[in-house]
Amino acid sequence: MDCQEIINKCVSDGDAVIPELEAQAICRNFNISCPPTTLVTNKAQCLSVAQEMGYPVVIKIFSRQIVHKSDVGGVITGVQDTEQLNMAFDQLMDNVKTHAPAAEVGGVIVQKQMPKGVEVVVGGLKNDQFGPVVMFGLGGVYVEVFKDVSFRLAPLDKEEAMRQVKETKVYKLLQGVRGEKPCDIDALCEVIVNTGRLLSSFPAIKELDFNPVFCYPDGCTVVDARLVL
Amino acid sequence: MIEPVTAKINDFFQPRGIAIIGASATPGSPNNQIVQFAKQMSISDNVYPVNPTKSEIAGLTCYPNLIAIPMPVDLVVIAVGPQNSLGVARDIKKRREEKGDVGAVAIVTAGFKEMGTAEGEQLQHDLIATIKECGARIIGPNCQGVADTYNGINTTFSVPPNTPQGGVSIVSQSGAFATSFLRWARDQKLVGINKFVSLGNMADVDFRELLAYLDEDEKTKVIAMYLEGIVDARGMFEIAAKVTRKKPIVAIKAGKTSMGTNVAQSHTASIAGNNDIYDGAFRQAGIIRAQSVAEFYHTSRVFDKMPLPKGNRICILTVVGGPSTICVDELVASGEVTLAHFKDELKQEIAKHLVSSANIGHPDGYIDMTASVNPKMHADVLKLLMNDDEIDGIIFMTTPPGFIKDEELAAAILEGYNSVPAEKKKPLLSVMLAGNAVAKCRTILESEGLPTFEFPDDAARVMVNMVRYSAYRQRNN
Repeated sequence: MDCQEIINKCVSDGDAVIPELEAQAICRNFNISCPPTTLVTNKAQCLSVAQEMGYPVVIKIFSRQIVHKSDVGGVITGVQDTEQLNMAFDQLMDNVKTHAPAAEVGGVIVQKQMPKGVEVVVGGLKNDQFGPVVMFGLGGVYVEVFKDVSFRLAPLDKEEAMRQVKETKVYKLLQGVRGEKPCDIDALCEVIVNTGRLLSSFPAIKELDFNPVFCYPDGCTVVDARLVL
Repeated sequence: MIEPVTAKINDFFQPRGIAIIGASATPGSPNNQIVQFAKQMSISDNVYPVNPTKSEIAGLTCYPNLIAIPMPVDLVVIAVGPQNSLGVARDIKKRREEKGDVGAVAIVTAGFKEMGTAEGEQLQHDLIATIKECGARIIGPNCQGVADTYNGINTTFSVPPNTPQGGVSIVSQSGAFATSFLRWARDQKLVGINKFVSLGNMADVDFRELLAYLDEDEKTKVIAMYLEGIVDARGMFEIAAKVTRKKPIVAIKAGKTSMGTNVAQSHTASIAGNNDIYDGAFRQAGIIRAQSVAEFYHTSRVFDKMPLPKGNRICILTVVGGPSTICVDELVASGEVTLAHFKDELKQEIAKHLVSSANIGHPDGYIDMTASVNPKMHADVLKLLMNDDEIDGIIFMTTPPGFIKDEELAAAILEGYNSVPAEKKKPLLSVMLAGNAVAKCRTILESEGLPTFEFPDDAARVMVNMVRYSAYRQRNN
């Protein structure tokens, strides 16, 4: 399915937020990198996919009825090897049976657990007066507390994205502090540019959060992609 | 009947005739002031007051209505009460259909949409629709209209007719805010203006169209813009981004605390206040956003008076320690300006002209001449600094000693500044920390095109703005 078809389907399904797998598919279409992620339907498949991906992995329950996965114990992180995954898979199913017995389970999402990088946020919204706008800043759960963010009208080019990044304090972290290697800021700017393109391409997408985006010395990855319709 | 043709914005600034509907014969009233100012500014005796009860106002022939004026009229000022304005609109339509003139209408009258009533909104709608039907263009309502110092136009009751000519054009959503700038600047000739536009309710002509017009206007060197809120912000910024490749736009935006109206479903939308988006959009479009009224005034006028710095290496020349430290703090805090580097040869040259206790280059880029100065020292050191290509701008600071006459000090500074040819000129900002005690010195410098300041941090912020804009221009050329 192309992006527009995915979005159309989500709209007709009445989704307020595009589900993770579909959101990732849209991101990949815009060259925005996400962690390797696969939907599996049984334990054997889960084990073989994880083996191929490489540990550690995260597993998450896949069900249209479960919006807040972690509230029902539907997310298990830091799974280090086959033995742990074997147990974690059963645990996940038990948790869901206990806390959301009515939910129809469509499978399990296996995702490569990404090593921690510098946490940033790339966001976007449609504003009545400005149209599509992209945001960049310090990521994580304290975005609203620190408000270390800057804005640009989308679409924008890479040089402009670079200036946007430089307006924040997190830019210092990206340059490497306390002996850390500098992050790949060029790749990050590409994510910002591509986010602007994505946002400008689809009227149906009203807001988006890529939070966190992990920045590494070689590239960056959108760990959580939330596209709001 | 002539087919309706859409009038040009230029009709507001180069009208063959100006009709003032609702002109008053009572001195001291706004509608009399409009006639007085229009008459004083006019260079071709083309002001026609309209009032059915008078035959003459302010020495000008008065007409009973718009239709009765036999001469061509391009600009109509509507200053009657809101209820009577609709009748004027019908006259405009009739006249335009018959004679093809009256293409520009400034509606000074208030009492429309800004009242927040259904009645006010309806009245504005009917008024605008009637006028637009015949292709005429409207500024306002609820505004002060326009002024143009080169073409001799003034439809306001507050832009002083003796406002000096210059390269600053002002576009403002508040008439009062912009005219206060002109009055503040008048006595010491701090600013010269070209055009002034008070936009009011923006029922027709808005920022987008005026920016595009001023972009093409050769006499406009700088655009100063006071903004409250705009519906099509994106459209305005897109046009502004083109203008700033050619000439600077300095903006001040009120309403910083208003939050976005979007209902948030994400972190992004929950923290994206409109003010933050404006901040980003201003930078992206190369518009200098002033954070204070003083910064707005000074930055606008200095852009007109001074050339752009070629880089970010700024030198401080001072006779006062404390204020200079404040100035350096402000420059360096921007992260975009550095103090210039003095070569040894330059330091040696400077030392020849100053007393031995003078501080040359501690820190680098900084000269404290001490209080043992005479006018010649100012001129000599400024010549060396103006001539050095590794210095991109100079901030000069002084509390002029009582033993130096205002005229002598001003002459020395001018001699130093003018010692190099035009292509080597760089911004020189003079801070005179003595208020009106040195009013004469400031007025001389300002008249000769050198900007002066009362406070060191104001000068520093202006220099940072110039450096920032210069960098924007360099990367967009």
